[in-house]
Amino acid sequence: MSGIDCEHVLKEIELYLDGELDPSVSAQLDQHLATCTPCADRSDFKRRLKLLISERCGCDVPEDLMQKIRARLAAPPH
Amino acid sequence: MASGATGSIAGSDGRAAAREGQAEDPELRARFEREVLPLLPSLYPAALRMTRNPADAEDLVQETYLRAYRGFSGFREGTNLKAWMYRILTNTFINSYRKRQREPVTVQDDDIEDWFLYDRLGGTATEESAESEVLERIPDEDIRGALEALPEGFRMAVWLADVEGFSYKEIAEILDIPIGTVMSRLHRGRRALEKALWERVRERGLVRD
Repeated sequence: MSGIDCEHVLKEIELYLDGELDPSVSAQLDQHLATCTPCADRSDFKRRLKLLISERCGCDVPEDLMQKIRARLAAPPH
Repeated sequence: MASGATGSIAGSDGRAAAREGQAEDPELRARFEREVLPLLPSLYPAALRMTRNPADAEDLVQETYLRAYRGFSGFREGTNLKAWMYRILTNTFINSYRKRQREPVTVQDDDIEDWFLYDRLGGTATEESAESEVLERIPDEDIRGALEALPEGFRMAVWLADVEGFSYKEIAEILDIPIGTVMSRLHRGRRALEKALWERVRERGLVRD
């Protein structure tokens, strides 16, 4: 088994989900999460929180904005 | 200002173009069109979350594009174009569009533990993984409201990490802060976000407490 305990895993979970851990440490967490349901559940929760921002805070670009930008770029400086 | 609509197009006024230091170079202009304009669907939502209102967001994005266009000849090919645009967006926001009203510059998170939301939702849940199910039921406007309630430096760090997937190093460069500050803003910003979401979950009656 991996030599990493739950406390250590939960402490690193933010870096893990952000993809900021060394690959070797990240692999250790992968292993632990594959077999430890409580940690996997917490990890999944934090992952969903991240997704919540990316999936629900977006919006469409106003229709005429691209046109306005092109016009600004084409105009001489004031 | 509004007279720009009747102004000459770039290329027909060589002096204006030269004054701006911008590309008379049609190739550079074409590359800007091809590579930078398509980033608008990423930049506009970010601008909207920063300014918190559509009119300012449009102004901010237009100003960002204008500055980017003027400086595009200085952009080093092979480096991250989206990060470069975000850096201009952030600087433009700070210099021009930030509300002058006093806003908190940091989060009050002394009383927020690391698993704040998980533990609270877990306390009210009856089934395994019900914590995550509650998240799905939170309305979009509440999630946006919680994000927009974060102080801007924290809000941007969370946006860049969670929406754009930038690395800590890239975020540090975009916001011009040390990596340690990026980590701290993400950690603390997310805790504050959890608390704000919890308040909205309770107000909506999404859990029984």
